[in-house]
Amino acid sequence: MNRSNDDVVRFGPRERIEHLLVMLIFFALALTGLPQKFHDAAISKTIVNVLGGIAQVRYFHRLAGVLFSVMTLVHLVSILAAVIAGRSSLSMVPGAKDFRDVVTTLRYYLRISDVRAQFDRFDYKEKFEYWGILFGGLIMITTGFALLFPIEVTRFLPGQIIPAAKVAHGNEGLMAFLVVIVWHIYNVVFAPEVFPGSKTIFTGKIPRERMRHEHPLEYARMFPEEADEVLGHHRADPARKQAAEPARKKDG
Amino acid sequence: MNGMASMYARLTKPTFALALLSLFWVLPAAAQGTAADEIEECLTCHGSDGLSVTLESGEEAPLFMNRELLEKSVHKNLRCTDCHAGLEQVPHPERHYKNLARFRASFGEACKNCHFENYTKTLDSVHYGLQARGDVFAPTCVKCHGSHDIARPAQPRSRISQTCATCHRPISEAYAKSVHGRALFMEQNKDVPICTDCHRSHDIADPKSRAWLMSTPALCGKCHSDGKLMGKYGLSTAVVSTYLSDFHGTTAAFGAKGRRTTNEPVVALCVDCHGIHDIGKVTGDSAPAFRANLVKTCRKCHPGASDNFPAAWLSHYEPSLERAPLVFMVRLFYKLIIPFIVGGLLLQILLHLWRTVVNR
Repeated sequence: MNRSNDDVVRFGPRERIEHLLVMLIFFALALTGLPQKFHDAAISKTIVNVLGGIAQVRYFHRLAGVLFSVMTLVHLVSILAAVIAGRSSLSMVPGAKDFRDVVTTLRYYLRISDVRAQFDRFDYKEKFEYWGILFGGLIMITTGFALLFPIEVTRFLPGQIIPAAKVAHGNEGLMAFLVVIVWHIYNVVFAPEVFPGSKTIFTGKIPRERMRHEHPLEYARMFPEEADEVLGHHRADPARKQAAEPARKKDG
Repeated sequence: MNGMASMYARLTKPTFALALLSLFWVLPAAAQGTAADEIEECLTCHGSDGLSVTLESGEEAPLFMNRELLEKSVHKNLRCTDCHAGLEQVPHPERHYKNLARFRASFGEACKNCHFENYTKTLDSVHYGLQARGDVFAPTCVKCHGSHDIARPAQPRSRISQTCATCHRPISEAYAKSVHGRALFMEQNKDVPICTDCHRSHDIADPKSRAWLMSTPALCGKCHSDGKLMGKYGLSTAVVSTYLSDFHGTTAAFGAKGRRTTNEPVVALCVDCHGIHDIGKVTGDSAPAFRANLVKTCRKCHPGASDNFPAAWLSHYEPSLERAPLVFMVRLFYKLIIPFIVGGLLLQILLHLWRTVVNR
């Protein structure tokens, strides 16, 4: 294999900045939010005291929440604008192939088959996380604002909305936190393929070899001369071929 | 200048004669005999009604000791000089007291010889703080416990609340009308708190201090989270846990540290909704009235609250299908979805690791 192993550009500055901001804000929200949910725990008391008391912690939490809301709004508006202008690749939209990929991957994990799913720009794990944080984020924003303005909200809605929003906010936040520290951190830090951690989202670059391996369909479009080689050894599996063909046609 | 001679000169004439008599006869026996003997010796002079001495301030200090009072006292078997130390000699050694308060305070100190623990506790009390600042009306040991008629303070329990009432009249009246006070005075209930159950007896804290305020939920919780006690009256013990897990309670549990100053309302504590001394019943017949009043209670801190607002508080109930179906359903949803999602992802991680190992 004498193929060059230069890095391939995977993320532009916008995606990198967005990830960095979400990462920092997510950390701030979890740090100031979880101690409020688990107020009995000794560590919560320590965190609250270190941050200057509960009033201060709530102030930081709300500030971070408002920043997160603004970011989400900017993200959604710009995506919408791109879609309307026809500039969006819609590569994050889940399709039937993603569900087939889940099955293929699980069959591979369980050693029922030796065929690996071939992913396009985003694999199903990445799509799951993106849509998870988007929908979860929208729940957090709505319930968060209900908790911030309970007087105003109950002027139009029944009072029970507030404790329901509180239960949803705390649990949704906990779930997001668990998904991120378990699933996201495993996939980008501890998984054997990337250990001791992928820097792609920070530098925007991915080693060509990893790109070939993790996103073969997009790779084949980037380097058509290698397409047959990259996709070739999967031709034996008809499901794989089906999955690969339409994607190539669409973007080709 | 105002020595023993002038003190004796002001004694009423018959007692003066008696006092003189005691000089020659009684004195040697006093130090040797039983407590009862000693009491009899002292009463030779101090048993006469009207015996008194005029102090520098012009106040009359009564020196009469009522034998009947003493006989009811828990201290009736002590010697007089156990408390009135240094007065074994007759005539008594010369002493100077500026006024009646000083005169009394000098004997107040005597209690600590036996009751040292309680005495040291009082040094931390709000009452001692007043004394230290020179307030002559500040309570001393004897102001609450009495002196020669000293009796067990809590027999019956209602006696304590009546003792406090001598100075704290309006508060005591509010308490007497409260759910606790009525049970105490009308039913001689042994479970309801009397003044000292909340305020403590000797180390009474300043109830206006922030530290005290912040400790009140734990104070109420002491009884209201006791399952056995609350069970007797059909009261729920979830009141404390539901409070603490809600916004107000969480704030209180974290000590509400923040921008606010001491005298501002900190966060809704038990007393802000239920009252302090005038705590009313919230169950049974009183429930509708309490509920109807709830929005007014909320508006004390949340001026713009609409009629919908009180329902944002689940009234110390755990959410259930009947009481708060929406909250119940949301909670159930997350109870199921969190383990499902997180468990599923963990399983995938383990499978991925396993397959990676197998490949090698």
